[in-house]
Amino acid sequence: MEEVKLIIDGNNITVPGGSTVLEAARSAGIRIPTLCCHERLEPIGSCKMCFVQINGCAEPQQACKTRVQDTMQVTTDSEQLFSMRRESLRELLLRHPLDCPVCDKAGECLLQDLAYEFGVTDVHQHVNATFETFYPTSLIRYWPERCIVCKRCVTACAEIKQLGAIDIKGEGPTAQVYPAKPERCESCGECLQVCPTGALTENLSRYKTRPWLSKRVMTTCTYCGCGCQMQLNVMNNRVVGMTVPNVFGVNKGSLCVKGRFGYEFINSPERLKKPLIRKNGTLQETTWEEALGLVASQFSRIKKEYGRDSIAGISSARCTNEENYLFQKFMRAVIGTNNVDHCARL
Amino acid sequence: MSETKTMTINMGPHHPATHGVLRLVLELEGETIVNATPHIGQLHRGIEKLAENMNYQQVIPLTDRLDYTAASLNNLGYCMTVEKLMGIDVPKRARYIRVIMSELARIMGHHLWLGSHALDIGAMTVVFYAFKDREKIMNINEELSGYRLTPSFLRIGGVAKDVTPDFIRSVREFIEVFPEALEGYHRLLTDNIIWRKRTMNIGTLSADEAMSWGFTGPSLRGSGVAYDVRKAFPYSSYDDFDFEIPVGDNGDVYDRYLVRMEEFKQSLKIIRQAVENLPEGPVNVDNPLVTNPAIEDVTEDISALIRRFKIQCEGPTAPAEEVYHAVEGSKGELGFYLVGDGTAQPYRLKIRSPCFLLTSALPRLIRGHMLSDVIAIIGSLDIVLGEIDR
Ligand code: SF4
Ligand code: SF4
Repeated sequence: MEEVKLIIDGNNITVPGGSTVLEAARSAGIRIPTLCCHERLEPIGSCKMCFVQINGCAEPQQACKTRVQDTMQVTTDSEQLFSMRRESLRELLLRHPLDCPVCDKAGECLLQDLAYEFGVTDVHQHVNATFETFYPTSLIRYWPERCIVCKRCVTACAEIKQLGAIDIKGEGPTAQVYPAKPERCESCGECLQVCPTGALTENLSRYKTRPWLSKRVMTTCTYCGCGCQMQLNVMNNRVVGMTVPNVFGVNKGSLCVKGRFGYEFINSPERLKKPLIRKNGTLQETTWEEALGLVASQFSRIKKEYGRDSIAGISSARCTNEENYLFQKFMRAVIGTNNVDHCARL
Repeated sequence: MSETKTMTINMGPHHPATHGVLRLVLELEGETIVNATPHIGQLHRGIEKLAENMNYQQVIPLTDRLDYTAASLNNLGYCMTVEKLMGIDVPKRARYIRVIMSELARIMGHHLWLGSHALDIGAMTVVFYAFKDREKIMNINEELSGYRLTPSFLRIGGVAKDVTPDFIRSVREFIEVFPEALEGYHRLLTDNIIWRKRTMNIGTLSADEAMSWGFTGPSLRGSGVAYDVRKAFPYSSYDDFDFEIPVGDNGDVYDRYLVRMEEFKQSLKIIRQAVENLPEGPVNVDNPLVTNPAIEDVTEDISALIRRFKIQCEGPTAPAEEVYHAVEGSKGELGFYLVGDGTAQPYRLKIRSPCFLLTSALPRLIRGHMLSDVIAIIGSLDIVLGEIDR
């Protein structure tokens, strides 16, 4: 692709033609504040934060939607732009509830960060609208007053998941997200993942922690063999939530419903933590030495009495590649059979 | 041929006259000191390190615990350093209130010095009078901030709240009665023959030597060097006030005593001017990134709520730069060297403790004197271990 040379804030920058001004600025390490733009989504252009001045244009332009042109001269920061951005933020806050103290997002909320950074003051709220709070999945709660209608969730549902379960209805201050095709929803939480504010929160972990109080532990999902990367939020040694870095691992922030919401088993009191042996008809707790000893002696006995092919093994997709490899090795080399199968063969 | 054997004894760290937990290892020949080694660090609380894990506002109460005899002065030094780093200009009314608090703290610090210094040498009466008057300032502190010894009243960008008419009234009352009390101290000590014998020509340090030891504050001025940060590098509107810097001639214990006694008077003079000319206006800088919005706004305005949330939970951020700022503490030049890294927490905070340098000269001052003079000399340097050990 042809290269384009332009000047941003006095820096000469060369980028591939067809890039946006925002991409060009970011490639040179120049920050243009944004709210609706997301690295995994096409430009949305709803938040009115990324305005820049371009030589030859009377009005400031949106950096996320403007393509670069040769010899363009761009200014990303000026008093006018600063106050325009501040006004945009003020408008977004006009219908915002006084929720930060009880909002799960508070502390890592993009809206909050930007409102503070731009020193927004004197928001005189005047919008009184009634909203519909129904959301296609009960795992996610939608708080319409907190919503800034940035359309990230809608775009993610349509672009990343190709589902289009949700959409925006209404105009201006009464606009909101609504379940356009609720039957299509997979409860994957892609919308939750991209929401910059606390308008979408996970219903499981509501009010359990604060972003700065919980420890974030990077781990790999155990549900299947894909190896999706995820971050468990741990507080007092309990898993209370899930956050996923956007640009990491094979999944790049996406998870399925099990991966994103199915973490409560970790601290479930019903979870098996010790091996059990059936003695006289009831299952009794025992030690690993005894359990493994029993399995080994029974395997040897069966092998001796009925032959090695009387034993078969089936492995699980929740194991890693290495574990599965070891498993078949064990079956073939130790037991001596080729009766090896796996649940994912179906 | 006769042979002299020296004796080594421990003084402190639990000795009441070592002003904290200073341990001095003294080598004696008879009653004469041939060598002395100060051992410090027994009050180390890691304040500088603790500060690295707190936001800028949270560090303020830690600074009270440096020179706890004059806590507001430490607040002032720290807050001004942060303000310098963040580029904040404090409104005039706040600066005046800070001056009042600081000078009251200086008087408080000097009260403690006077009482314990005299007590150490054997003049028991003075401490009762000194502490009686110190109590008055403690009451003023309590009325204003809720705390007597460690007010933590200053904030980055101003002070915690505006002063009340009651505060002004009690400060005025104090200004009225204190000169007479000061006269009383003088009558007890200044011409007292025992006091003079115990303090004159003891622990003498020339001006050059005092400077090369890094002395500052009253201990330096006692040796005749008129260096005072308030005059040399005026801060917090100190150049608005008319006051003098008392200096001594000989640099002995007695001269340092006289300098501090005169400083009582000068501090009072500054307080009087500050109270009488206290300007109207806000007591906090008008900066949405630093100043907490009023609580009434928080219950109505989401932007105020957001700001309060961010300021309280995360705190204002400072740029990745470094600054040094010093104020005249009650013991000398109290400096803060602060490095920011773009976050809400200091990257490094280094405190220049005047007492640390004063203590380093102790062996030099003590050597050759009698054991009983050690106490007079420590008292005259007015060291506080909370600040040395940090
Ligand atoms: S979405 Fe952000 S700004 Fe709104 S209440 Fe939650 S934390 Fe506060
Ligand atoms: S729910 Fe979140 S992502 Fe969706 S429009 Fe509202 S603020 Fe944006």
